[in-house]
Amino acid sequence: MHKTTVLAVALALATASPALAADGKALFADKGCTACHGEDAKTPIQEGYPKLAGQNADYVFQQLTDIKAGKRANGAVAEVMKPILDDTAEADLRALADYIGGLPRFTPATAAGPADKPGKQLYLTKTCIACHGKEGGKPVLKSYPAIGGQDRAYIAQQMKDIKSAARANGATNAMQPVMHLVTEPEIDAIAEYLSNVK
Amino acid sequence: MTTLTRSLAIAAAATLLAGGATLAAEPTKGKSVGEAGYQWNAGGGEEDEALSLKPDLKNGRDVYEVCSACHQMEGWGLVDGTFPQLAGQHYRVIIKQLSDIRAGNRDNPTMYPFALPSQIGGSQALADVAGYIQGLKMNPEPGHGDGKDLALGKKLYDDNCTRCHGAVGEGNNDKFFPRIQGQHYAYLLRQYEWIKAGKRRNANPEMIAQIKNFSERDTRAVLDYVSRLSPPKELIAPKGWKNPDFQ
Repeated sequence: MHKTTVLAVALALATASPALAADGKALFADKGCTACHGEDAKTPIQEGYPKLAGQNADYVFQQLTDIKAGKRANGAVAEVMKPILDDTAEADLRALADYIGGLPRFTPATAAGPADKPGKQLYLTKTCIACHGKEGGKPVLKSYPAIGGQDRAYIAQQMKDIKSAARANGATNAMQPVMHLVTEPEIDAIAEYLSNVK
Repeated sequence: MTTLTRSLAIAAAATLLAGGATLAAEPTKGKSVGEAGYQWNAGGGEEDEALSLKPDLKNGRDVYEVCSACHQMEGWGLVDGTFPQLAGQHYRVIIKQLSDIRAGNRDNPTMYPFALPSQIGGSQALADVAGYIQGLKMNPEPGHGDGKDLALGKKLYDDNCTRCHGAVGEGNNDKFFPRIQGQHYAYLLRQYEWIKAGKRRNANPEMIAQIKNFSERDTRAVLDYVSRLSPPKELIAPKGWKNPDFQ
């Protein structure tokens, strides 16, 4: 094909689909996500912040959208993240989500602990496995988060917030009705187990 | 759906089946209770397709494995009512409720993924798992209420509920009325309240009308009574029974 035609076609494609033009990787750096979540999106700057790399893209997109809309406001997200997202277009949120989803999955910070952690059994008997899958790594829906290997304090806080309805966005309405099955010590045990899963 | 449309839909489905074509019905959202034109148990689509099929109990057991994570291997759910007992529920009732949940006619966010065709299969899977569940032995010890108002509960039940749910809560498979005897009190309470409030969108308007004037005391009394109604002995498992299909 003629060089000019190739160029014209490429330009037409680029402008016809703005989502293609948005660079998730560049956005992740430019928007300052690396500052809190790490350059590799899985080395958070402090305990209690989530690892993101490899998380289900649809789930990430839902969270970004909900934080921006004020539907999710638990923990640090309202003060720290919302101002950034207020300034980010929907197509860019989607690009960020897709970029994050395409990264190699996050893994636990430490080597796996003893196999008979109490949280391991609780993860089964309290029915977490039904939705989040074996070892928290294979959720039943793409819109549900993978949680195996996630930051321990972050998991525990999300569980507590979903239980108390401090967090009530998205599909937490599917999780909230079973949260009375776990006490706070059980939540901590489950978080301890999950954070060590490879 | 009008009777004509429904007849055409059934004829079309029958033609498909007769011709050996792939079953094609998909979950399709219908009207909700309170909406103009709502018809309880309108049927059609996937539900009708599933009802016309022969259940394969072997596959039903395999499908049920997914469900057992919450409803337990015996199908007894949890006594605190978080998950209902399914064991021994009527075949047609299970097919209808699963169809309604995955079509978005009954809201159940927790259950929703597990009802989806991508998770458990198409209309044949509905028939299979319903057939399996229906055959499970029932819980000998469901969750009860406080037992303090059973005389009132019995009177209310006999005066209001027997026409559809039967003399002892046995329901009616042909008419899609659920078996409620031996169901966990807390689960009955939640569903009853949602039906009364119109929050359960696939509810029967006749039931809503029937319970409209029940007080909170009436509600607790009648449902405690129902949770203690015993299914026929041959349907109940012995205490401590474990489902051999999952050992």
